[in-house]
Amino acid sequence: MPVNEQHSSTVILSQQLLLSVAEELKLPLTQIARQLELEGLTRAEGRSLQATAQTALQLIDHYILGVRLALEPQQFPLEAVSVSSVLYDTGQSLYNYAKNYDIDLELNIAGRFRPVMANQHGLHAALVSIGAALIEALPALPAQHQLKLQLATHRSRYGIVAGVYADTKQLSMSALRQGRRLQTHSRQPFLALNHSNGAGIFVADNILHAMDLHLVASRHHRLYGLGTVLQSNEQLQLV
Amino acid sequence: MSSRLLLIEPDRVLAATYKRALTADREYMVMKANGAQAAVRLADIKTPDLVILELQLIAHSGIEFLYEFRSYSEWQNIPVIVHSMVPFAEFRHSWELMTHELGVVSYLYKPDTSLAHLVEAVREYVPVKT
Repeated sequence: MPVNEQHSSTVILSQQLLLSVAEELKLPLTQIARQLELEGLTRAEGRSLQATAQTALQLIDHYILGVRLALEPQQFPLEAVSVSSVLYDTGQSLYNYAKNYDIDLELNIAGRFRPVMANQHGLHAALVSIGAALIEALPALPAQHQLKLQLATHRSRYGIVAGVYADTKQLSMSALRQGRRLQTHSRQPFLALNHSNGAGIFVADNILHAMDLHLVASRHHRLYGLGTVLQSNEQLQLV
Repeated sequence: MSSRLLLIEPDRVLAATYKRALTADREYMVMKANGAQAAVRLADIKTPDLVILELQLIAHSGIEFLYEFRSYSEWQNIPVIVHSMVPFAEFRHSWELMTHELGVVSYLYKPDTSLAHLVEAVREYVPVKT
């Protein structure tokens, strides 16, 4: 594809994603507006509002990061990153939002993993975006038991997988493919997974793509999830 | 006895907020459903006096729910208020079908609808029992 065409298709995709982000922001902003109308807000409700606003701001920030990563990759070099510490930070970022939705957030980083090549900020942003999208979606899926989301990492034959996992088969490669296919054509591309437009998943997709990584569906023990495959930093083994 | 509302709202936080607003004066009892299937199950257990419906649901859309709901004779005259994140312009072409054949009595755009407005709209179709 000629450079000009490539540039304009990137701009169009970025505009379409911005449209999805704007659409997605209607949910947290409506939550904030309506909850503020309730009389006599409790302290817990105040905290819940703060978490909602924080997540909305993060979505905008992560969208911007994805665009900047694509346009100015030299500003965001790949570095040796500890997956465990990124997952821990992701858990911290999502904790209050998960609480809003009565979802238990678990961290599963058992095992020793070598540092991986990624941009730490970008990887954290991608995992938070996926996590926030799944937190909103999970309670609307037909399930009666206590909802759990697990931030986990494991080795696969392709590399070290880091992702966000839940007990739902809807988190599959085919759902991801369908979502990507419908991204610009439907207001609800993940029909079987998400009642909104799942902008957080596309934002994560963009961020990972800009770091030469891929958003993939994977399994972790009995759970299904979305995440990415990272390559360990072999250079560090010499140190 | 309070009138029963069936609130079909996929977002857990919004569902709790709407329920709190609609039950504040103890005029209504609210049954919450996160999707179409759960809504049909709940309606089967206790027939609602009114349905508040989001069109964007997981797996089955609000329109699919309406077709299913109206296929049962005992639920044909229950008023349905569409209260949705989907702007009217996006389903304008289906509006006549929704009002004439599927029994939708009103549409409220969720981001623009205050809690007070929602309660008022519900009162219009389900007067408070005294």
